[in-house]
Amino acid sequence: MNRQIRFVGLGMLVLFLALFLQLNYLQVVDANKLAHDPRNTRIATRDFSRPRGDILSADGKVLAHSVPSNDIDKLLRTYPAGALFAQIVGYYSFTYGSDGVERQYDGQLSGRSAPIGVNNIGGLFTAQDRSETVTLTIDSRVQFAAATALGNRRGAVVAIVPSTGAILAMWSYPSYDNTPLASHNPKVAAQAWNSYQADALTPMLARAFRERFFPGSTFKLVTASAVYDHDPALATKVYPTLGALPLPNTNHLTLSNFGGETCGGTLPTLLRVSCNSGFAQIGLDLGASNLAAEANAFGFDQRPPLDLPNPAVSNFPPASSFAQDLPGVAKSAIGQQDVSATPLEMALVAAGLANGGVIMRPHVLENIKDSEGQIVQSYQPQPWLTATSAATALTMRGLMIQVVQAGTGTAAQLPGVQVAGKTGTAQTGNNTVHTWFVAFAPADAPQVAVAVLVENQPASNDFTGGQIAAPIAKKVIQAALAAG
Amino acid sequence: MIQAVRPRRRTELGLIVLVALIVVSAYILASLGRTSEMPANAGPFLGIILGLLLLAHVALRIWAPTADSILLPMAGLLNGLGYVFIARLDHRLAALQATWTILGVGAFVLTLAVVRRARDLERYRYTLAFLGVAFLLLPLVPHIGRNINGARLWVRVGSITFQPGELAKLALAVFFASYLVDKRELQARPTWRVGPLFLPDPKHLGPIVLAWGASLVVLFSENDLGTSFLFFALFIAMLWVATGRGAYLGVGFTLFVAGAGLAYKTFAHARSRIQVWINPWAHAQTAGYQVIQGLYAMGSGGLAGSGLGLGSPTRIPEVATDFIFAAIGEELGLLGTAAIVLAFVIIVGTGLRIALRAEREFDKLLATGLTFTIGLQAFIIMAGVTRLTPLTGITLPFISYGGSSLVANYVLLALLLRISTGS
Repeated sequence: MNRQIRFVGLGMLVLFLALFLQLNYLQVVDANKLAHDPRNTRIATRDFSRPRGDILSADGKVLAHSVPSNDIDKLLRTYPAGALFAQIVGYYSFTYGSDGVERQYDGQLSGRSAPIGVNNIGGLFTAQDRSETVTLTIDSRVQFAAATALGNRRGAVVAIVPSTGAILAMWSYPSYDNTPLASHNPKVAAQAWNSYQADALTPMLARAFRERFFPGSTFKLVTASAVYDHDPALATKVYPTLGALPLPNTNHLTLSNFGGETCGGTLPTLLRVSCNSGFAQIGLDLGASNLAAEANAFGFDQRPPLDLPNPAVSNFPPASSFAQDLPGVAKSAIGQQDVSATPLEMALVAAGLANGGVIMRPHVLENIKDSEGQIVQSYQPQPWLTATSAATALTMRGLMIQVVQAGTGTAAQLPGVQVAGKTGTAQTGNNTVHTWFVAFAPADAPQVAVAVLVENQPASNDFTGGQIAAPIAKKVIQAALAAG
Repeated sequence: MIQAVRPRRRTELGLIVLVALIVVSAYILASLGRTSEMPANAGPFLGIILGLLLLAHVALRIWAPTADSILLPMAGLLNGLGYVFIARLDHRLAALQATWTILGVGAFVLTLAVVRRARDLERYRYTLAFLGVAFLLLPLVPHIGRNINGARLWVRVGSITFQPGELAKLALAVFFASYLVDKRELQARPTWRVGPLFLPDPKHLGPIVLAWGASLVVLFSENDLGTSFLFFALFIAMLWVATGRGAYLGVGFTLFVAGAGLAYKTFAHARSRIQVWINPWAHAQTAGYQVIQGLYAMGSGGLAGSGLGLGSPTRIPEVATDFIFAAIGEELGLLGTAAIVLAFVIIVGTGLRIALRAEREFDKLLATGLTFTIGLQAFIIMAGVTRLTPLTGITLPFISYGGSSLVANYVLLALLLRISTGS
């Protein structure tokens, strides 16, 4: 019988050993995954009852702040700036997780990623407040100017400092109030969340950097740059004056100019009046691979290194997709067919041209301070892409000044400040247009680059980028120059 | 023998003091973790623990002075830590568990006093068998049987609820041991040929089929997978230990697979448990919720745990009973769970050593059966909670909240200690 008893012992030992291995798997190997599973609310509970740093705008406005509450979570997150900053700041919700700066800089705000300073031994054993304050590059005055100028029209405004990539304003309408989402009452949070989600105008969608639109004629900046970078001879070619360009390889299809106008001439003229027939032919002359290469150099088809979660990738189709589609090349050269861009991307195009061809990494973080107000980290500007040469950028600046002085963008003129810009009026296919304006100013020493998009305007001569979007850009530039 | 008495009981006494200090420290830490305050009753708490363990210790000095010195302190440690967790999870249950602990220690003392020789139990073989079966079926009696969480395991008399199945396992272990020692013919060579297999004589298969049938009855009528598996495995293991015939293991395994398959096919409860085991995430808000919450707790605990009183184990349903192991995993981490596993390994090892050293076959077999019961029961619930096997609800011996389980395990402990004295 002893033999069997020893076997029983061995068998039990094997079972307990398997159990021990499983415990190692759960509590060591897989522990991090289980602990951070979004449905495991332990970390959130812990963080909710801990100090959390403020989020401030560049001009010192409090955008997010935790106030003491009388429930188990001890601290309630509030957003004094509400809808004006909701799409940037995001939310920090027990039920819905987090988004925006609250998510991007969660480690700093909660103090989890702060270095443990061991200045003295005692510090190891006391509960230090290690939460950090996050200051943004966004200036509430510029943001407010953008929101006011856009009004209650769906669209987006992005303002950026060309030399650093610092974002001064990033607004889209409609927005939402983020404070209810942080409520400790799950019913309040759910009610707000559900109403935002049910809203057909999608207020939680940050159009400025998470939605793509036809860039329309603003894309001609990229096409024109491509001429100087890839085939400079085309810059002096005189394009015939046409009302519509017959598209190649089609049965009498044409690409007409806006409002049925006729236009033609050399590149500077074509850009100034935003001539579709001329630019479509330039696109055909350049070829798909040159266009695609230039678009990629300007940041299309790459995720912008923005320090906010999930920025959308702007799209220019690969050159190979045009092999059997010459009309597509013509349409793409004027920012239509499958070309799509976020307002952020179009602001970066303008910023790159303003900054001698170099696009800086776009960012909203200015600096991080510890709980005693000492700066522990400042954002160091870094180049993202070299979009074009300094020479091309200089030439383009001249062309863009002409657009504002004597072309489609005259509504953006500012007294005493030279503005360089480009309009866009992109057909959406359902008898409405997206109106655009991208610009930078002052033209000779740019301090701000902007992109303005106003969605779904009626397709008529009174609703063009020059008439609708340019005046908004003008106000934002004014506010940015005043704030700077 | 007299010389061996003193050192053993002295070792036990030292371990008991150590256990009491560990448990009281854990109790204080849990209170500090939860409320940042010293528990007001730490002194009386220490007194009660020491008092109960010393009572059991004195009972051993009087009635079983040569008994093993490890088992009682180990049980005290598990019981004490279990109590700390129950008190931290649910104050109302803690008061009840304290009462049951006192009853358990009382039952321990009583068993030692009454059962002076293990072999005396053999005389009551059929009485115990009858009692065991009666206990098993008691929850099915109308008016007193109670359904809790879909399983009909409880009996309610007045305001007291208990699980008679916990006591049944003891009675049946004694019955199995004496029956198997008695029926030597079970050890005969298999002569019954079925195809290429030699199987034991069909008439000797009677008991095994009976045990299988009984466990299936429990399974189907009471909805209790864990207990039914425990009984079946206990019987097969004891049959094999008694005879050394591997064929019984083969038959047992086949019947187990058949039973499990039958349960899976006909029994939504069993099917759901298997599905949750394979992929709990697919049932995260329904049948898999409890398992997933347990996994989250253990994963969040990590290596060293959140610290006593500092985790959030109360999110796990049934955390004080079936899932107390997950709460330990969250607050004491792998260090804590590994310590619990190790404690059970020590108990099983000690129990089997007692079985090896026992001189009479009945003592050997009973010690093996009792040890196997406690070890397998601990494994079933810990493996279920950690998703090593499908989950079947059963108490973690000495740790989980549960009066009948605690009392039964203290009686089991007393019987093992009695066998260890060799009388």
